[in-house]
Amino acid sequence: MAAACLAAGQTIEFNRDVRPILSDRCFTCHGPDAGQRKTKLRFDQEAGAKIALTGGKQAIVPGDPAKSELYVRLVTQNKALRMPPAYMGHDALRPREIEVVRQWIEQGARWQAHWSFLPPRRVEPPAVRAASWARNGLDRLVLARLEREGLTPSAEAGKATLLRRVTLDLTGLPAAPEEVTAFLRDDSARAYEKVVDRLLGSAAYAERMAIRWLEAARYADTNGYQTDGVRDMWRWRDWVIGAFHRNMPFDQFTVEQLAGDLLPGATVDQRVATGFNRNHRTTAEGGSIDEEWRVEYVADRAETTSTVFLGLTMGCARCHDHKYDPLPQKDYYRLFAFFNNVPERGFIWNFGNEPPVVKAPTPAQEEKLTALDGTLRAAELAWEKKAAAVAREQKRWERRASGPWNITKGMVFHQQPDDPKVFEGGKPTRYGTDAAKFDYRDPITLAAWIKPSTPRGAILTRYDDYFEGSGYGLFLIDGKLRYHFIFRWTDLGMRIETAEPIALNKLQHVAVTYDGGMRASGVRIYVDGREVATKVLFDSQLWPLSHKAELRIGAGAGLDYQGEVADARIYNRALTAGEIDVLMSQEPLEALARIPAARRTGVQSEKLRMAFLDTALTPELDSVRCRLEEARTERNRYFAAIPTVMVMEERKDRRDTFVLKRGAYDAPSDEVTPGVPSAFTQLPGGTQADRLALARWIVSPENPLTARVMVNRLWQMLFGIGLVKTIEDFGSQGEWPVQPELLDWLAVEFVEKGWNVKALLKTIVMSSTYRQSSKAPAELLARDPDNRLLARGPRIRLSAEMIRDQALAVSGLLETAVGGPSVKPYQPAGLWQELAGGGGYQHGKGADLYRRSLYTYWRRTIAPPSMVTFDSPNRETCSVRETRTNTPLQALNLMNDVAFLEASRRFAERVLSTGPKDEAARLTSAMTLALSRPPSPAERGILGGALSRLKQRFADSEKAAMAYLAQGESPRNAALDARELAAWTSLCSLILNLDEMVTKE
Amino acid sequence: MTELTRRHFFGRSALGLGIPALASLLGGELHGEGLAGLPHHAPKAKRVIYLFQSGGPSQIELFDPKPRLKEFAGTDLPDSIRRGQRLTGMSATQLSFPVVPSKFDFKQHGQSGAWVSELLPHTARIADRLTLIRSMHTEAINHDPAVTLFMTGSQIAGRPSMGAWLAYGLGSESKDLPGFVVMISPGQGGGGQPLYDRLWGSGFLPTRYQGVKFRSVGDPVLYLKNPEGFSAEARRDYLDALGAMNQLKLDEYGDPEIQTRIAQYEMAFKMQTSVPELTDISKEPARTFELYGEDARKPGTFAGNCLLARRLAERGVRFIQLFHRDWDHHGGLPKGIPTRAKETDQASAALVTDLAERGMLDDTLVVWGGEFGRTVYCQGRLTATDYGRDHHPRCFSVWMAGGGVKPGLTVGETDDYSYNIVRDPVHVHDLHATILHCLGVEHTKLTFKFQGRHFRLTDVHGNAVKAILA
Repeated sequence: MAAACLAAGQTIEFNRDVRPILSDRCFTCHGPDAGQRKTKLRFDQEAGAKIALTGGKQAIVPGDPAKSELYVRLVTQNKALRMPPAYMGHDALRPREIEVVRQWIEQGARWQAHWSFLPPRRVEPPAVRAASWARNGLDRLVLARLEREGLTPSAEAGKATLLRRVTLDLTGLPAAPEEVTAFLRDDSARAYEKVVDRLLGSAAYAERMAIRWLEAARYADTNGYQTDGVRDMWRWRDWVIGAFHRNMPFDQFTVEQLAGDLLPGATVDQRVATGFNRNHRTTAEGGSIDEEWRVEYVADRAETTSTVFLGLTMGCARCHDHKYDPLPQKDYYRLFAFFNNVPERGFIWNFGNEPPVVKAPTPAQEEKLTALDGTLRAAELAWEKKAAAVAREQKRWERRASGPWNITKGMVFHQQPDDPKVFEGGKPTRYGTDAAKFDYRDPITLAAWIKPSTPRGAILTRYDDYFEGSGYGLFLIDGKLRYHFIFRWTDLGMRIETAEPIALNKLQHVAVTYDGGMRASGVRIYVDGREVATKVLFDSQLWPLSHKAELRIGAGAGLDYQGEVADARIYNRALTAGEIDVLMSQEPLEALARIPAARRTGVQSEKLRMAFLDTALTPELDSVRCRLEEARTERNRYFAAIPTVMVMEERKDRRDTFVLKRGAYDAPSDEVTPGVPSAFTQLPGGTQADRLALARWIVSPENPLTARVMVNRLWQMLFGIGLVKTIEDFGSQGEWPVQPELLDWLAVEFVEKGWNVKALLKTIVMSSTYRQSSKAPAELLARDPDNRLLARGPRIRLSAEMIRDQALAVSGLLETAVGGPSVKPYQPAGLWQELAGGGGYQHGKGADLYRRSLYTYWRRTIAPPSMVTFDSPNRETCSVRETRTNTPLQALNLMNDVAFLEASRRFAERVLSTGPKDEAARLTSAMTLALSRPPSPAERGILGGALSRLKQRFADSEKAAMAYLAQGESPRNAALDARELAAWTSLCSLILNLDEMVTKE
Repeated sequence: MTELTRRHFFGRSALGLGIPALASLLGGELHGEGLAGLPHHAPKAKRVIYLFQSGGPSQIELFDPKPRLKEFAGTDLPDSIRRGQRLTGMSATQLSFPVVPSKFDFKQHGQSGAWVSELLPHTARIADRLTLIRSMHTEAINHDPAVTLFMTGSQIAGRPSMGAWLAYGLGSESKDLPGFVVMISPGQGGGGQPLYDRLWGSGFLPTRYQGVKFRSVGDPVLYLKNPEGFSAEARRDYLDALGAMNQLKLDEYGDPEIQTRIAQYEMAFKMQTSVPELTDISKEPARTFELYGEDARKPGTFAGNCLLARRLAERGVRFIQLFHRDWDHHGGLPKGIPTRAKETDQASAALVTDLAERGMLDDTLVVWGGEFGRTVYCQGRLTATDYGRDHHPRCFSVWMAGGGVKPGLTVGETDDYSYNIVRDPVHVHDLHATILHCLGVEHTKLTFKFQGRHFRLTDVHGNAVKAILA
């Protein structure tokens, strides 16, 4: 395109005209990839291109193509000599490309460094003839180019069109009828600017900005691989909305998302922001190799970060040096190293957020939590106040205390005194399949007195009769006490044993506690009340346990037991070390009570106190204690339900990073340290090379890319196509900017105004360039089909979410609440089951059906179908390029999807029940609601005709009308005649299907 | 140049390029015509029907007989065979790796003498039509990356699927159906490993090249049917007015997108007739159901989908992708695999036979196989009657039949344990290159520039397997 826009007689520019050819056709063998370079001759660097060749030849002799080997080898008839080589299957360059190279050499072969690696500079906008058209520097640059091309700008779009355009662009929603009326009536010079300011200040603006960011950040509600379990990242999403709403400067926006956790005194909000780089997909597929996937996550972060902020295709340097840009493989792993220090797993939990996470209460939740903490504190104080009374009561009770009491709270199984205690192998005691059911996140305590006579046996188990089977239990293996909790032996469960064997033929108390936290670090083993050193054999407790085996003493896992087992107990909580002491204390209460209080051991006092509190508290005191328990339970339950966000965090001991051969996790070679790509200004000396340093470097004045990349995306958002069309690639394979001065002007403006996103958007939408009519006269269309020269306004199809949101808004169904958990609007039945089985998709109720589409629940492996049909990125990987297709499936979707049919009905009800009664006025009302403008006479004729035909279709079938109107959950307005409403509903559907409706023009 | 040619059909530059053939747009299409310069050579096959068996069918029970396993039964897999190769996390930490022979017998069939298991009696009968590859291999050892590699040429999601590449490169021959159709059937009871949209997705190609799922629940194509109470006649009125309105807009604005949109609504209308016609099997003769089995009457079964595949092929659909789920026999294999075999054997064979009888097998390539094979050692508990097998990427079997491949040929050989390939390995990339070759496509030349790179289905790998090309 750039070349096509070249005006005749212009000089050839290396960056614009020649580099793309060399890059695409020569760099593979004569470029940055040292592994592929066949000779010293390389065309990605001036020095390498101008070296002396054998035989005294030169690749490039400025001014003399015939002596330049580069040119000679392109045009030679000798196939063996021709470049690129035919024997490698390459085609010759096209005549036009060869001509560009020839002219460039002839004109002196002036070299230029790659444009995007040089800092942007603001050029003084040149003098223009139609100066009065230009409202700002942007306009002057656009106009200067148009005048050079011999083109003139288009007239300004009509007011209604402009209002609809700017409202859709800045909020993703159509203008409300009263906004249209107000704007049409406002003749003041600032009328348009007032609209722009209003739009930029709205919450809808922040939502509109957020969705493109969510796509870039590969945000979703599920993990994305295979079983595609759920995650909760919506608090991060709401952080993004908030940041856009408050107009957080883009440099701060960048730093907080990449490294908010490393900022001094990082707030919860700043830590939440780092969810950006935890949005990548993760896997919980059984059998996955942990390190293989962990490496994949780190790679995703490095690549996403370089695409989103730098417009660099870093991923091309993962397996070898970049073939086109000066990014050696080592640079890739230096960038990778910044993200390689998260305390994380590759094979992850399938049922919620994977650590590291941060609790991220909403403001309302924070308030409630503070209140609950207050209640709890009050209950604690109330109980403390009763201390003296409790002591008095206990003393009184001790006089009559008796019996072999021990801890009962949470006890779900107890081996009775009459049960067998001696096991000689092969005769376990069975307690059935209902006893002591536990799942992988339930805390548990197993305890017993044992006197084993052999070093191998099953003490207390619910476990298959097969060693590598499934279940949980306490075992003796090679004399060591061992705890198993196994879903699948090889990859899902935990196994932990004592570091040393325990004594045989000795009666001793053993206990294991697990805190329910899915980590072996939450398991403790006690022998005779002492916590002992353990060895973790396996630590991957990630999956629910399905119980089949029965509870047994003396058998399990294909083992039996020889020796004694007595007083075996199971609790549904992790007893504390103090409680374990009490548990092994066998003295009856009367014996303890007889000991004078001052001479009791800690355990003895504790046991008496526990027994008293659990069995003999007076009702009055017990109620105080109960209130405390309740307050604690309620607080903890509320706290547990507060959403978390997966965030970035640094490990204490830094993980080493290596260059990975072929990018493979199991093929490390040279060690590398974190660092920014070598082609750019490096981190200042003395800086600790961590993510924070990287983030600050990305938004530093020395970085030539970030501001350009961001303003280019904003330009794409408004004009449908970037000034650099290859949004994700500012390297030498990317497009040379069609208007480089304009891109630089915007980038400099952006940074100078403090990375102010709203200010930059305002500058653009206030420009005359933006305000032009989007009508395309045939000659202009032929000359500039993609509107790269900007002689007219943008006319592009709305994005997927806007199409639905607009229909909801026009119908009056739209729910405008901001933020919160994702919602499930309508979706055709069975889509989830046919791919993944299970319970399938259940759509939400009420308001959940009508929220803006950025809140739609996004299951990555089975994305919302209509969003994808309208070209929404699939959220699997970072996506920054907006694409638009035009297909029959979109037509079917808009005509027959319940979401649009219900919107059509509500739209019709709105027209029929709120507006005037005569048909012509109703047509006006419908078109104005939808398109902010009345119909033309010709349109009135077509729509009126259609309406009368549709009325006839429904005239004699109330039944058909009723069936047709029964779309969606919202009730039908029963006051309206069903046949009339059906005809209007189909007319409103037709309006929602108009090209103009799904297009910003 | 290729990109420009594509855009001539749907993009904004149709008028800009000054191409007079705008009339061709007026029909409206989903997958349109292919790229200029394609096919690269004369194709043997015009279309592909890919019967993907998701989960990883065991080669040891189906196509790769290993009589010596009876001798080795119960012994640990020797290190000389395993050679330290990586295993999935599901069996890597097993305490032992006992070899387990197939419970099912094999016999040679047809003139070619191909070995086929007793589990596949119908497939056995078409042995002489098959090209059996017993030396397939892959790097991926888990379902998600392995299926993704098979469908897109890369383990990591983000690339276009094979069907999307072909829709992009070759376009559609059908004027009123999409060029790339996907159909899914579950194993009995609805089980099996999940599948994902990306397996027929368009990756970085424009989204219109993604496969269109034909479904057995609800509308066969999403949103195909008019809402209840809204007749086809009313839809015609509606579309006439919509077209007239859009035409006014086109006259005013001159945007070629509007013209395309008008055409696409007409195409949508055509699909409302052509798709139900396609899925209506009530006029199929009794002989069809004798051939495919009674299951073929039930929508959403593998047999039903095979029958639809033939009907799609008759209508010129380029790439017909079936998935049958639930071949993942980690445990309970002796009971599980006969059920899967029964669900798929008759209809797979029937499809080949049916195409042959209709003279369509010559230009239709049928492919049958899963994402990897299964281990010779038992995963989980080995008992007298029960065993399971873990994923095995180092060798497995796939068969092909029809346009472009040699019938009655068995390619490749594995060792006595069906663990390593000893002759003629065929990688997934090679299979892709071979399939593309049959369609007249040189796999190194069907490329799309994205992020500065010229991507292709086979990445930087793959060779068409000359030995099996007819």
